[in-house]
Amino acid sequence: FTDKLEPSPQTFFSDLVVFDTPERVQQQVNSLYSSSSIKAGAFLGGRYLIYNDIQGEEFINVKANQGSGFNVWNFTQNESQTGGIWDAAYKSINQANVLLKGLEDNAGKFVTPVFPENYAAKAEQFKAEARFIRAVSYFYALQIYARSYGAANGSSPGLPLRLTAETNSENNDLARSTVAEVYAQIIADLDFAEANLPLQYTDALNNVSHAHRNTAIALKTKVYLSQSKWDDVIREANKIVSESAPFTAATGVKHALEPSIQSVFASPQLTNESIFSLVFTNQDNAGTQNQLGFYYQPTGGAEYYLNPQGIIADASWKPTDERRKFVTLSGGNSWLIKYPSPTPYTDKAPIIRYPEILLNLAEARVRSTGNVDPKALALLNAVRSRSDASTSWTTASFANSGALLSAILKERQIEFLGEGIRAIDVRRLNIAFPKKGSVSAIEPNDPTYLWAIPASELAANKLVTRNE
Amino acid sequence: QKTIRGTVSAKGDNSALPGVNVLLKGTSIGTSSDAEGNYQLNIPENGGTLVFSFIGFTAQEVSIAGKTILHVSLDPEISLLNELVVVGYGTQQKRDLTGSISTISGKDLALAPVQSFDQALQGRSAGVNVSTPGGALNAPPVIRIRGINSINLSSFPLVVIDGIPTYTDNLSTNSASNNPLSGISPNDIESVEVLKDASATAIYGSRASAGVILITTKRGNKGGVKVNFDSWVSVSNPYRLDQIKMLNAEQHIAVKNEARANAGLAAAYFPNYDANGNLIDTDWKDYFYQHNGFSHSNALSFSGGSEKTNYYLSVGYTKQNGIVKINEYERKNARVKIDHKLFKTFTVGTNFSFSNTSTQSANSGSTSGQTWDYANGPRLALNSEPNVSPYNNDGSYNVSPTGVLGQMNNTISANWANLAVVMDKDRFNSASSSIQGSIFANWEVIKGLNLRTQYGIDRLNVIDNTYENPLQAPGYFVGGRAVNVNRLNNRWNWQNTAQYDFTVATKHSFSLLAGGEQQYSQVDRWGLARTGQTDPFFTSAQGNFLNTLPNVSQTGADIGLQTENFLISYFGRVNYDFGKKYFATINFRRDGYSAFAKGNKYGNFYGASLGYSISDEDFWVNSPVSKVISYLKLRGSYGLVGNNQGINDFASLQTYSGGLQGDASTLYYYQSGNSNLSWETSKKSDYGFSFGLLQDRITGEFAYYRNDVDGLILDVPQAPSKGVPNPTSANSLPLNIGSMRNTGIELSIQANLIRTNDFSWKLNANVTTLKNEVLSLNGDNQRIINTENVIEVDKSISSLWAVTTHGVNPENGRRLLEKADGTIVQYDHSAPAASRWTTLEGTPVTAVTTLADGKNQGVALPKWYGGFDNTFGYKSFDLGIFLQYSGGNYVLNGTKAGVRDQRAYANSTDLLDRWTPENTDGSIPKAVWGDNISNGGAALSISENIEKGDFLRVRNISLGYRLPVNLLSKIKIASARVYVQVQNAFILTGYKGYDPESSVNGNSNIRPGVDRNALGQTRTVSAGINVGF
Repeated sequence: FTDKLEPSPQTFFSDLVVFDTPERVQQQVNSLYSSSSIKAGAFLGGRYLIYNDIQGEEFINVKANQGSGFNVWNFTQNESQTGGIWDAAYKSINQANVLLKGLEDNAGKFVTPVFPENYAAKAEQFKAEARFIRAVSYFYALQIYARSYGAANGSSPGLPLRLTAETNSENNDLARSTVAEVYAQIIADLDFAEANLPLQYTDALNNVSHAHRNTAIALKTKVYLSQSKWDDVIREANKIVSESAPFTAATGVKHALEPSIQSVFASPQLTNESIFSLVFTNQDNAGTQNQLGFYYQPTGGAEYYLNPQGIIADASWKPTDERRKFVTLSGGNSWLIKYPSPTPYTDKAPIIRYPEILLNLAEARVRSTGNVDPKALALLNAVRSRSDASTSWTTASFANSGALLSAILKERQIEFLGEGIRAIDVRRLNIAFPKKGSVSAIEPNDPTYLWAIPASELAANKLVTRNE
Repeated sequence: QKTIRGTVSAKGDNSALPGVNVLLKGTSIGTSSDAEGNYQLNIPENGGTLVFSFIGFTAQEVSIAGKTILHVSLDPEISLLNELVVVGYGTQQKRDLTGSISTISGKDLALAPVQSFDQALQGRSAGVNVSTPGGALNAPPVIRIRGINSINLSSFPLVVIDGIPTYTDNLSTNSASNNPLSGISPNDIESVEVLKDASATAIYGSRASAGVILITTKRGNKGGVKVNFDSWVSVSNPYRLDQIKMLNAEQHIAVKNEARANAGLAAAYFPNYDANGNLIDTDWKDYFYQHNGFSHSNALSFSGGSEKTNYYLSVGYTKQNGIVKINEYERKNARVKIDHKLFKTFTVGTNFSFSNTSTQSANSGSTSGQTWDYANGPRLALNSEPNVSPYNNDGSYNVSPTGVLGQMNNTISANWANLAVVMDKDRFNSASSSIQGSIFANWEVIKGLNLRTQYGIDRLNVIDNTYENPLQAPGYFVGGRAVNVNRLNNRWNWQNTAQYDFTVATKHSFSLLAGGEQQYSQVDRWGLARTGQTDPFFTSAQGNFLNTLPNVSQTGADIGLQTENFLISYFGRVNYDFGKKYFATINFRRDGYSAFAKGNKYGNFYGASLGYSISDEDFWVNSPVSKVISYLKLRGSYGLVGNNQGINDFASLQTYSGGLQGDASTLYYYQSGNSNLSWETSKKSDYGFSFGLLQDRITGEFAYYRNDVDGLILDVPQAPSKGVPNPTSANSLPLNIGSMRNTGIELSIQANLIRTNDFSWKLNANVTTLKNEVLSLNGDNQRIINTENVIEVDKSISSLWAVTTHGVNPENGRRLLEKADGTIVQYDHSAPAASRWTTLEGTPVTAVTTLADGKNQGVALPKWYGGFDNTFGYKSFDLGIFLQYSGGNYVLNGTKAGVRDQRAYANSTDLLDRWTPENTDGSIPKAVWGDNISNGGAALSISENIEKGDFLRVRNISLGYRLPVNLLSKIKIASARVYVQVQNAFILTGYKGYDPESSVNGNSNIRPGVDRNALGQTRTVSAGINVGF
């Protein structure tokens, strides 16, 4: 009977066997994009995007429900309420670190006949995917828990930099690295990813939902933009943006703007414009109160409607603009219906779309040249005129580079409404969160401007420090 | 020569006594009574005195004096000291015990109008604290023997039925509670023994830390067939519902609009009128609670025996309704127990029971984790706004297009379900079928040496069905949902023992036990959730729905479970006594358990005790003291037992799980197990004495106990930035790291205070004290805060944790609170977010949080508790008054926070004393719309809501009447008693909520004493009859 003292679970794998077949390794790589990693409802699969939108000025809370972000919306979160994103981001980071270590430790298993020839190269690609996910996790967490790079040239406290697999009760204490150090790690991971990721996959779904080389490059433009490293933005963006319109990526997945933005958000949301999205299905959905559609649809949870004083009130955003079709009136309020699918809300979560690269490049060019840069203008026009053919700006439309910058930033507000970018932009620029409804403006020196380092981290990690 | 005859019956229930020895004093002329208790004896003409004697009864001598018919009723033995007490793997005479064991007679349990016997254990025995978390039918009570003995594992005692350990805790996955112990009919129980100290429990080794409850079911006795029929009917009502009085519609509108104005907002609340033009003023409690819930219970048993065979057969049926609409419990049960002497020294037997239980419930909010449900019934019954109606004037449900209660003329809607729809449409059911059984063979090899083997099974199947309507949340979000969950618990248990009882040199008595036991348990749970109901017709998961989700519960939690564990054990016991004066017992057990880490699978456990019956010494017997103190035994025990109850079967393993990424499959790091995981241990010591006063007319026991629990498995918080996965407790890992101590005293007394022919008064009282102290936690983190409870060193486990409040600032109506550094700050919800928290001088400060600014506000576990049971007899009448008391603890009245919340919640009449410029000494802060801080709640736990939990409850009053025997004998009935009783007659308490026992966290060790929208308790009036044939 004594072998019964060593039962092995029938629904869970032992850690000893998960690298035994190529199928199992591939499944571990798939998990990097799943809800056990970055697609967690608390992270990029839902709430991260939602929270970054509702902290901005575009949304008005309806239900005063803490469970659906009321405290985030009105900046009254305390240390015990800011842990959801932190925990989810670091879960993804550890999943990536554990996979990276597993791929190293089990390299001896990757031989024929069980594994195909040259599996070592495949393993490098998987490492690139893991490091891409780690970079994604650090980048997005950094945007809310730390000062912008520009605020103190990266010298302010960033995040604890965890780069080894954590599988036991050791190593609780780890101090925060500086913002610059975290960025350096993100770039190192993305450089590795760029070098080792495949150019593209064989099907549209994987091209949108798994990292390929252009995904890494696209994220780098975003990272460098957050660091105000304009030349780096330009260099990276130029790898996937052609010299002149129509702008496309020359190599790898042929990213380009779709003729109509409506088709980008129409099922199946697998156009070349979506550089990186997280996938939901009926069987694999975001779960209660995490779904983008649930928050914004008037027929869903109806949790947030569009601020009548927000960007929708902007006269330069013309009524004929295709993007206005994402706004609908219901019960006297305007609601965002960019995510149209009904419960269980299977719209993909957009992480990076091609127009963002164009606008990143445009912004970097204006800031680095200090001029009303003609290419920047062309990039801006490409985004605007795709949805509003009646508008085509010329250099004469802008008095100076500042005016053009404002137009680019406004274009981001319009184009990415409800896509989780707004608060990132606000903090990146170190400007105040504007007043909205009953919530006052939040200045950068306000203690709630940044998310508090969660109490659970402060309690268990003796070396971590609070934000200010 | 003449003939004398008559009937012998038992005083008390008047039942006929077969087998009574009848002897003419001083002669060898005698006989014994037959199956109906009748005897007949030929005696010399000159008469004399008859002596009636029978085990368990006081012998009685009656002069014949010319009579020819002589009926006698015998007194049950006054002294309880000669009773047999069931112990682990055997029995012992109570007089010989050196361990600490309480016995509760099945008679005290059978008549209680409850679903399961454990609910009737309240106040019955010292050291055993039983509390009812609320009035939901079939909710398991919380049982603690000598305090909480673990933090993360179970503190629920091991429950053993006729030798086979069984399942406990709520096994349902939905709102319908399911206590597996309710499968046993209380009518089938002969006795319940509670093993408390190490000497008594060590024989159960690794499962004994929280104490052991042994259930012994009835068996047949030699004699003719005995038939018993027990039946009762009852009505149940909620009581103390009016403890929480809500504002009426008019007051509600005024208060809410005042709060709006105080926040600088327009009025949002307006009167609504029904079709007849009357103001709508809804009392939402009426939609949830019900009155006069009817129940009945019926049990029929047949028993008897011959020289060779004993049998007991029973069937039972009960159907019960509680205080909540749509809450119904039903049980059908049957039991067979037979033993038969195949040969003179070889006995075989079997014991089988089958039961079928079903609990149907509304969303009672009473299962763990439901507190904040959209559709939590008790919460909606309070927090729904009185100026809206559940129905529109056209009779349709008042539900908003977004699936919540419609707002009518209000401009703001509450964000929760319409209670009437919840009650009409949603359904939760949990049904069990249970087979428990064993077969045994016993061979008495030589006199006193018994070899026994017993093989038992315990197979429990639980099926949960859920349906949530698509009209409103939560079903609304998924277009209606039906969930089926099937759970199978399957266990076998094989025991082999050798028992040898012998005496050496007449005074050295030995009783030796050696044995082995193996137990294998499996749990399989699976099911499916269907969403997207295609037609209102389909309300079960087998119907037509758009979507199918495997292994998902009503709340979306993963309910798939396929797990197993194995226990292999060797044990032994030596009982020794010298001349019934000096006693010693040693127990040993070695257990191997599968859940622990490799290398830590086995643990050794032991217990030893000594007893000294000083009253049997000659000097005592011969001294005048013995006239008063007729019996005195000193005893003490010490030992070490373990705890493995409730540990995850695979907690020591590193595991990966599979999932989905869109349509692709995934495999990910799922559990960072602890590869050093080992037993929790409990060192128990117990010192005390038992005594008998006045020829044992008063008997009692006193004990001082101390449990030192070490190696507590704590979920030690890990830095979340490590990202280590633990599916059962996020950001933590289970480590053997903590220790704590329980100490206290127990005193119990049984007294026959008055005993005359016509009148008797029996008293049974007990008191227990408990002091819990946490001795160590994880070195660096000496405090574990679980929302409103805290575990910290030097304090009682899971004390209440909240920010200290200092009333209301009379100058501005703001709540005054104390920060961790002692400064007093105030809160104004109408100020901009950044300046809501200020010092009294108005300087903004950082927000007060429960975590950072909380303080230990007092113990959540009762410091003292007990029972006080009086039984009066007058001729054929009996009257029982049973009091239960408990106190020294605090309760978080979270319900109070809810009914004072200034969001779209209905408020209680407490708000009438809110601060206003005219009422500057108001006890409630100025009402400010949206304020969920000033009165506490989920956002902030405040001491204002913590109240004393002391209570004295009249748990039971019963009045019975035994029908006269001579009347009954004409219709061939041996005995009959009719009775009426009131369960929970009333309670004396200062607690402001429904009931100080109510709690929403069930069996949790780490979150006791929290009443948040818990159900009230039940008062039940019942009437019944017991008939014996």
